[in-house]
Amino acid sequence: MNRPTGPIVSEGEQIARETERWERETRQPSLAGKTERREEFVTQALKWPIKPLYTPADLEEAGFDYSADLGFPGEYPFTRSTRPNGHRTDFWTMTQVTGFGKGEDWAKRARYMLNHGLSGLILEYDLATTNGYDSDDPIVEGEVGRAGMALDSLEDLEKAFDLPFDKLKYLMSVCNAPQPVNLAMIIAALEKKGVDPKDFVLHIVNGILIEYICVGRYIYPPEHGLRIATDAIEYIIRNHPNWAPLSIISAQLQPAKANPVQEIAFSLSICCAYIDAILERGFDIDTVAPYLNHFVVNVDMDFFEGICKLRAFRKCWARLMKERYGATRPEALKIRLMTSPTTIALTLQQPLNNIGRLAIMATACALGGAGENMTTPLHDEAHSLPAEEAIRVGAALQHIVAHETGVAETIDPLAGSYYVETLTKQMEDAAFAELDKIFAMGGAVKAIEAGYFQRALGREQYERNKDIEEGRRKWVGVNHLVLTEEKREIEIFRLNDEMEEQQVAKVRELRARRDQPAVDAALEAVRAAARSGDNLVAVCLEAVKVYATHGEICNAMRDVFGVHSANSQLMGI
Amino acid sequence: MTTQPRRPLRVLLAKLGMDTHTVGVTIIGHALREAGMEVIFTGLKQTPEMVCAAAIQEDVDVVGISTLSAGHTRSLPKLARLLKEAGADDKLLVAGGVIPQEDKPLLEAAGVDRIFTMGSDTRDIVAYLNDWWAARQAEEAA
Amino acid sequence: MPARPGGSVADIAQRLLAGDIAAGARAIRWLDDRDPRGAALLAAIFGHSGRAQVVGITGPPGAGKSTLTDMLVTEWRARGRRVGVLAVDPSSPFTGGAILGDRVRMGRHATDPGVFIRSLGTRGQAGGLSRSTYDAALVLDAMGYNIVVVETVGVGQDEIDVVNLAHTTVIVAVPGLGDEIQAVKAGIMEAGDIFVVNKADRDGYVATQRQMELMLHLRAQSLPDQPPVPLLRAVAARGEGAAEIVDAVEGHRIALEAAGDFTRRTSARAREQVLALVRDALMERAIRIADDHLMADVTTRRLDPYEAARHILHRLSQGSLAA
Repeated sequence: MNRPTGPIVSEGEQIARETERWERETRQPSLAGKTERREEFVTQALKWPIKPLYTPADLEEAGFDYSADLGFPGEYPFTRSTRPNGHRTDFWTMTQVTGFGKGEDWAKRARYMLNHGLSGLILEYDLATTNGYDSDDPIVEGEVGRAGMALDSLEDLEKAFDLPFDKLKYLMSVCNAPQPVNLAMIIAALEKKGVDPKDFVLHIVNGILIEYICVGRYIYPPEHGLRIATDAIEYIIRNHPNWAPLSIISAQLQPAKANPVQEIAFSLSICCAYIDAILERGFDIDTVAPYLNHFVVNVDMDFFEGICKLRAFRKCWARLMKERYGATRPEALKIRLMTSPTTIALTLQQPLNNIGRLAIMATACALGGAGENMTTPLHDEAHSLPAEEAIRVGAALQHIVAHETGVAETIDPLAGSYYVETLTKQMEDAAFAELDKIFAMGGAVKAIEAGYFQRALGREQYERNKDIEEGRRKWVGVNHLVLTEEKREIEIFRLNDEMEEQQVAKVRELRARRDQPAVDAALEAVRAAARSGDNLVAVCLEAVKVYATHGEICNAMRDVFGVHSANSQLMGI
Repeated sequence: MTTQPRRPLRVLLAKLGMDTHTVGVTIIGHALREAGMEVIFTGLKQTPEMVCAAAIQEDVDVVGISTLSAGHTRSLPKLARLLKEAGADDKLLVAGGVIPQEDKPLLEAAGVDRIFTMGSDTRDIVAYLNDWWAARQAEEAA
Repeated sequence: MPARPGGSVADIAQRLLAGDIAAGARAIRWLDDRDPRGAALLAAIFGHSGRAQVVGITGPPGAGKSTLTDMLVTEWRARGRRVGVLAVDPSSPFTGGAILGDRVRMGRHATDPGVFIRSLGTRGQAGGLSRSTYDAALVLDAMGYNIVVVETVGVGQDEIDVVNLAHTTVIVAVPGLGDEIQAVKAGIMEAGDIFVVNKADRDGYVATQRQMELMLHLRAQSLPDQPPVPLLRAVAARGEGAAEIVDAVEGHRIALEAAGDFTRRTSARAREQVLALVRDALMERAIRIADDHLMADVTTRRLDPYEAARHILHRLSQGSLAA
């Protein structure tokens, strides 16, 4: 019998030895007398050490296997891309944020954007609306129409929807806590405009759980927030199967200083909460997962953290659906990503630098597999709402990345890079370890109630800020290449103060002329459904059609569900 | 475990109105605690009336308001007025966040003692508060 | 136009006895800061105290004490009671600073003149309760608040401290925490007057409730003269359980008064406070006397610790103990 003689050395081990030799004989001597730029080379957010060199030895050590870890585009585990043909058929949908002032102003801006190359719009609302109040509620004084559109009643939306719907393929409504009032209003407004709901995609964000962790626009206690979100999800699955009832805006975790592993684990665990809730209503995973797989993920300036995060997200979703829920359909196993450069990387100082940053981050998005949709924030977003030129530049930037760089000509071009694959796999492993921890606590809702996410993030926020103040992280314009003479004024997009008064007058006037008994009956029906557990969307539709206002319908639900009070854990203690 | 008398600075941190961004107050809250101050956080969605009542009950030295949406031009002057009416305008009133230069004169005239725009170094904020506190204590001793 | 509270001791005392919040807050500040005016103020108001029922609320972190307190305050207010709340949180042992976040959950009472919420840091006090908690409770008592709630994080010794301070101690437990946290800590199961399992809608509620029942049963066996101790349930986030808890607190007060224990506990608190003040003052002097020279002798084994202590006590008894 022939036996191999001597030890069997894998290719990886051979290269590892060669690497050691290179270290000794070539790299170290080259450092003679010099010090490296940094004491410790670490990734920006995770602060994981970065080696001088990555080789096939690293892949072997990480247990990398092409078939198991990457596979092929459009096939499990989708690491390289969820799209079989990448972006060779279509580019990602290119979108930008807008939404301020009364309904008419939004329509004007939306028309401008649609005529300048964008096919999707994102509708954001003012803080009065997202917190479930009418414009004339004293508690929202000074907020009406500032952070976004003021939506008090169906009439506001009817005016806003004065749009070329033939150009509009996609509309996202960023509204969480006051669902399903918002959904009801949109459905009713589309009906009035005669728009066929099958002709375009409405996407409601409906992501209330993340609000309890890091943004704070919640109304009712978490369990009721989840119930309401699930009602909207169920309604859309049953009645508008081409629409999207959820978006997990993982990107919101970034201003709260979540690192990529936390982003992946926290947002996946939150999605599982929605999935578990809708499964309880008698659906199966292969049906619901394709509705609940929309994630908005931002990249930050660390080029490779961003790219690897997107790849890891795709893989982690696929594994989670398969291993935890037993999903089998590809549509269930594929995550749908909307990607974006993050605004937290942009500076107030030397704002034109931000255009460069955006270009780099947009390129990272494209290299990571931009997914369905890329949104470019605007270079002066660091201080306020955008001016029109910034919008044009933002839109052009995406076209430059798409048409002039060639990064989207082949699928997942960085695959196989020793560094990229090592980092991707490390993120995946760490994310699953964190997920296990959260599931052990009983899932995302329990973790929210226990303050687990908030505490983790609060400490990060403080530490990262110290890194900048103490110079460990260099930020051009802020603590590096600072222009001391810079007299940068914050150009706030000034809104007309009259606008708030007009909106207030409008909603009061509406209340005076509508059929009040019909409104009262409709609101009572909302309360009844809230109590009984019946789906709230149908009763909210009836209410908005008789012109019950946004705040009135939310108040009807407050009467039954109570309100959630703020939580010192938001300070991460 | 000293039982020496100490007079740590007491600071109330609050967010007025609907703006719920908490990263700024979190960072400042931690920084002030590291600097030996007592930080009382009122929470979110506060009205000027709530903040004024809290400032008086807690007998704080400093009231710090964080604001990232644009409602500050109304709510801050209102808070300053309420504090004055309650005889509490000897408390230092500072504001931080997204506040354009052109709003500063209005706010300062209305009673805001100091404005820290977004990105202010927490060490500067701590130094400013400590200097103010030292001057105030010297004044009281005199 | 309310006068500024930066006034004289007499001025502050007079105003706080009339219920002026700013004056009461200033008085608490003086006491918390160990400002010399504090002792003088206490002298002026002490005679007006002794009526309020001091209710301690304690339990492990995560039990939902602040939310529970918020709920109870609402119930008390509905019954026409005026309530003071002292929320105590730990100060950093390194920097002395603190983030005091309990009033976040009581925001709805912020502008109710019948509710006074005050946050206190432990300020280096070992054992978790602020040194000045007792003093602050006296101020609120003298101001006319019927109930003074002291809310503390119960870890380690805290529960015992608050038991000495309060007429009625409410222990809050919560399902889902490990046995080691719910564990029968020395004295706590005997010392609590009312037990509440909060977040009763959680998984594990039944198990926690049974565990508490068992421990209370053992207690009843070892302290047969005591009346049975209420074990209640609450879901504070939904406002459930408030009425029963407030009833139990009121019932406890009535029982104490009937047995003459209300004033007895008040006196015991006062005694504790007096002794604590003496202890502190003596310790401060002792520390000054235990100078490096003396301690060096102990280190080099020239003097043993007992003898060193005798030495210090001798010096203390000789010196003036004023101040």
